[in-house]
Amino acid sequence: MPWRRVLITLIIIAPLLWLFAFGFTRDTKYINSPLLAKPATPFTVTLFDGQKLTLEDLRGKAVFLNFWSSWCPPCRAEAPDLEAAWQRVKDKDVVFLGVAIQDTEKNALDFIKEFNVTYPNGRDASGKISIDYGVWGIPESFFIDPQGRITYKHVGGIRAALVTAKLEEALKGIMSAKEGKGDYQSIR
Amino acid sequence: MFSRIILLAILFIANPVFSAEPPDLEEQTRAIAAELRCVVCQNLSVADSPSEMAQQMRAIVREQLQAGKTPQEVRDFFVSKYGEWVLLAPKTEGFSLLVWVLPFVVLIAGLILGIWLIRSWATREGAAEKIDIDPGIASRFRSELTADKLTRPDPEDTSARAQLLREGMRYIEEIKELEFDFQSGKLGEADYTALRQETETKAAAVLKQLDALPAERPAKAPPKKPAPSRAAEKTDERRRSVRQWQLVGGAAFLLIFGISVGVFLTQSVRPRAGEEDSITGGFLTGTTPADGDVQSLLNEGKAAFNKEEWPRAIQAFKKTLAADPSNPEAHAHMAYILLQAGHADGALLAFDKALAAAPNYGMALWGKGMTLYQSKQDYAAARQVFEKLLQVTPAGQGRAEVEKVLAEIPLSDKSPPPQKTTATGKDTSAPPSAGQISGKISIDPKIKGKIDSQATLFIIAYGAGSTAGAPVAVAKIDRPVFPLSYTLGSENSMMQGAPLPDKVSITVRLDKDGNGSTREPGDLLGEYKKNPAASGATNVDIVLDQVAK
Repeated sequence: MPWRRVLITLIIIAPLLWLFAFGFTRDTKYINSPLLAKPATPFTVTLFDGQKLTLEDLRGKAVFLNFWSSWCPPCRAEAPDLEAAWQRVKDKDVVFLGVAIQDTEKNALDFIKEFNVTYPNGRDASGKISIDYGVWGIPESFFIDPQGRITYKHVGGIRAALVTAKLEEALKGIMSAKEGKGDYQSIR
Repeated sequence: MFSRIILLAILFIANPVFSAEPPDLEEQTRAIAAELRCVVCQNLSVADSPSEMAQQMRAIVREQLQAGKTPQEVRDFFVSKYGEWVLLAPKTEGFSLLVWVLPFVVLIAGLILGIWLIRSWATREGAAEKIDIDPGIASRFRSELTADKLTRPDPEDTSARAQLLREGMRYIEEIKELEFDFQSGKLGEADYTALRQETETKAAAVLKQLDALPAERPAKAPPKKPAPSRAAEKTDERRRSVRQWQLVGGAAFLLIFGISVGVFLTQSVRPRAGEEDSITGGFLTGTTPADGDVQSLLNEGKAAFNKEEWPRAIQAFKKTLAADPSNPEAHAHMAYILLQAGHADGALLAFDKALAAAPNYGMALWGKGMTLYQSKQDYAAARQVFEKLLQVTPAGQGRAEVEKVLAEIPLSDKSPPPQKTTATGKDTSAPPSAGQISGKISIDPKIKGKIDSQATLFIIAYGAGSTAGAPVAVAKIDRPVFPLSYTLGSENSMMQGAPLPDKVSITVRLDKDGNGSTREPGDLLGEYKKNPAASGATNVDIVLDQVAK
C-alpha cells in the first residue's frame, strides 16, 4: 500500500529532520551558565592602585562585575557605556568592579586610561576568578544582589541602559530567568 | 661520596612512593584535562588546547589534585562552573544518556534497513520500476500463457526481443511453480494470489515492451527450435546470484569504509603542539612521540643511568624533555648526571625544575638536599630540603637515611666550611663550561620580609646593553630558597639549544603570580651590577634589592 510506505518513511525521516533543524537553531559554542540565582563565589582581587578588594566586603550593595580584556573589541565598544552607567548610579548602594583577564598589566592600564574608567579595576592573572565565574566569552558581566546572589549574567557587550536596569533589579533582589546575550563578543 | 648519593637516589627511584607520585599527579592532571572541553576552543580538550584559558584550567586541576581532591571532585568543580557542557563525554544518565544510546540505535536501525533494502532489491531483479499495466494486457498474457503461444527464443539470440521473451518465459515458469505450490498446499491462498498477481504484472510489463518493439512479431522472429537446454537456465540463475552478491559486497565495502574513515581519521588528526609539529599523530607519520613513547624514552634513559652510560642516558632524557618539558623524573636524572660531572649549580637548577613539576618528588628532594649540603655547604637550605623530604618519606630505609643525613648537617652555616668541593671532590671554582654563566642570587635583608613563599624566580638574560625587550634566555625556579646558586646556559635559551651570546645583561625577578611575561607591583627585582656579563663568567652574583611599583 503506497500510503503506508509514505507514512513509515515520514515516521523515520520526520524525527531526523526535526533533530537537524533543532541542531541548526543551537549555538554549540554557547555555554549556558549554571550560576544564575546561585551565591556568587567569594574572591579577593588586587586593584591596579594596589588595594585589595574582597567580594564579601561588598555585602549589602549591588555589584556589577565585569570581566574584560584590552585586546577585545567588544570590551572597547562597551567601555564608554559602562563608565556612563557608573556615573549615573555611583551615588546608590552599587559597586562597579572591572576584572581584566587574559591581559597584561600594562595593556590593561592603558585601556583604563584611554577610556577614562573611574570605577575600581584589578587583574585576575591566574584566571581563578574568571573560572570560578564560568567565564568563556569576553566581555562577561555579572550582577550580584546585596545578599550576594548572582541575579543576571550577560555575555558580550552590554549597553548602559541595560546595566542600570539590571542593577535596579539586583538592588531589589529580582532574579532574571535567563542570562543575556550580546551579539558582539570575543574569545581567544 | 657521589656513589652514596647515587645509591640512595636509586633507592628513592625504586621506592614506589617516590617513583609513582610525580607521574601520578601529571598523569592525573592530564587525564582529567583530557576529559574537559576547552571553553574557548573548537572541539579541543583542556589537555590539548594551547590557549591561555586552558593553561589556567590545567593549573587549577593540578592545584586541586595537590590539595587532595579526587578526580571526580575536580570534574564536579568544573561542571558547577560551566555546566555539563564542559565534559567532553556527557554523563550516562538522564537526557545525556540519549547521546550515548542514539548512535547505536541509529546504527542498528540503519543496518536493518540496509539489509532489508538489499534483499528487496535482489528479489525484485530490476523490476523496481512501477509500470502502469493495462488490464487488457494482463488478461492477454493469461490467454497466451494458457494457449502456450509464447515461443522460446534461440539461446544464442541476443536481440532485445529474445531477452524479453526469455524473461517472459521465466515468469511463466514461476507462475507454474506457484500454481503447483498452491495446489500441493505449500502456499496459502492469500500469498498465492498476491504473488501470482505480482508475477503476472511483471510478465504483462514484458508483453507491453514486446508489443512496443518495431517490425518483427514474436511469432515470426524466432524459428521453431528445440526446447532450451537446462544449462541456459542455469547461466541465468548464476547471473542473478552474482548480481545479488555484487550488491551485498558493495554495501559491506561502503560500511567498512565509513567505519574506517570515522575511526582512523579521528585517531590520526590532533592539534599541533608546536611550530615543528605535524597535525597527524604518530599513528600515520610517527613524527611525534605519544605518551607511551615518553615513558619508553624515560625507561631507556633510566636503564642507561643505572649502567652509568652517561652519554646514552643524556640523549634519552633530552628526548624525554623535548616531548615532555616538565617531566620531573627526566629533570631529576639529568640533575644527578650534572652532579656527577661536577656541575652542582646546573644540578640544582635541574632539581628545581623537577620539584617545580612535582614538589614532593623524593628523588629530587634528596638530590637537592645532598647538593646543597655537600657541594654548596648551604646547611640551612639543605636542612630545609631534608626536613621536607622527611615529611613525605614513609618509615623505612629511606627515612632512616634522611634522618641520618639530617643529623650530620651542621646546625649553622657559620661552622667553618671545609674546602669548597663538590660531591665528586672536584674544585667548583673551576669555570663552568663555555657558554654558561653562573653565580649566586640573594635577597637584600631590607626587603626580606616581602618575600612571597609561593613566588617564582625568573633569571632573565637580555642582549648586552639592554634589560628590556625580548630576552635571550630565561631560567625559572619555583618557590626558591635564598641564597641560591644558578647556572644559565644553552638549555635556558629562548631559541632551543642556542648558546648564550658572548655578553648578556642579567636581571632577576621574584614574581608573585608566576607569570614570566608580566611584572606586578610587589615583585622583587634585582640585576647584575656589572652588566653585561661575559659568557663563561662564574661569579655573576645578584641581589634582589628593589620592589616593583
